[in-house]
Amino acid sequence: MEDRNQENLRDLFDKFFDAEQAERCIEDIQKAEQIFREHPAPEPDDMLIANIKAEIAMRLPAARAHRFRRIIYEVAGAAAAILIVAAVSLQLFKKDAPKNGDVVYASLIPTAIWESDDIAADDEDLAVYTAQIEQIEDEVMTLQSGEETGNGDSTIIELEMELIEINSDFWKD
Amino acid sequence: MTKSNDLARIITGCKGSDAKCFSQIVDMYASRCYGYFYRLTGNNDISDELLSELFVKLVEKIGSYKGGSFESWLFKIASNIFHDHLRSKHRRKKLVEVQITEFESGTIEPKQSDGDLTDKLQIQLGRLDKDTRELIMLRFYSQLSFKEIAQIRSEPIGTTLAKTHRAMKKLRQYMEG
Repeated sequence: MEDRNQENLRDLFDKFFDAEQAERCIEDIQKAEQIFREHPAPEPDDMLIANIKAEIAMRLPAARAHRFRRIIYEVAGAAAAILIVAAVSLQLFKKDAPKNGDVVYASLIPTAIWESDDIAADDEDLAVYTAQIEQIEDEVMTLQSGEETGNGDSTIIELEMELIEINSDFWKD
Repeated sequence: MTKSNDLARIITGCKGSDAKCFSQIVDMYASRCYGYFYRLTGNNDISDELLSELFVKLVEKIGSYKGGSFESWLFKIASNIFHDHLRSKHRRKKLVEVQITEFESGTIEPKQSDGDLTDKLQIQLGRLDKDTRELIMLRFYSQLSFKEIAQIRSEPIGTTLAKTHRAMKKLRQYMEG
């Protein structure tokens, strides 16, 4: 019985006692341990050892079943815990989310306009632009039908320019 | 290194419920554990009982051994079993009653195994208090380092060192006196 995990008594006692005390402590301990070696305790009976081994062999199947049961319980416990956490999380998320009955659908476009077919009449700006476009369309039609006299090409270019200007003004707003 | 590898292999076998590996563990530790119980109780019958209980517990608890010093783990169980034994007043009372009955009927005979009078060490150990006696037994039979003993006893290592030294010195004086 000398193993002691390679423990160095000297180093150990030096940490807590001065050198002289440490020396005395180690000596006392070593002498006491010598006394134990000189007075060995009785050994266990061979019969006792055989009985212990027989009992172990007898208990092993039960121990195996017990271990298996424990694993099952642990797995079941873990699964139950996961389910509980999931259920609680769902409840919490549900609380935060709006209820189905409370959902309010909002539109950026007023319902009256949305349902109307006459968009130009519902929006003042759009009505102005629509009128201008219609006027240009009429002028183009007139030019195309040859009713208009004068320099036709420059008139068309002017109209085109006007159209582009209207178009860019529209998107500016 | 080989010894610890062998032990690790045996323990793995035990965890797999291998009877042969348990048998090896019994062969390796029965003697020391028996000495531990015997020096604490001074009685062969009780030591037999406690040793059996220890190995039965080992079978039940081997799954909870998660590495580290096996001896430390084993002797922690042994220490708990001894404390349970002490707590069991009924058991002690019964034992005392049986001894008194045997003594009164004159059937008791001094045996070397029953804390006998020829074992001077056992007598002198009886003069120490229970805690001190257990500390010395743990030190001698478990082969644990002071650090491990301090961990088992949940006390600072300095306290363990000082107590052990006092106890060993006292025992030495008793034995020499």
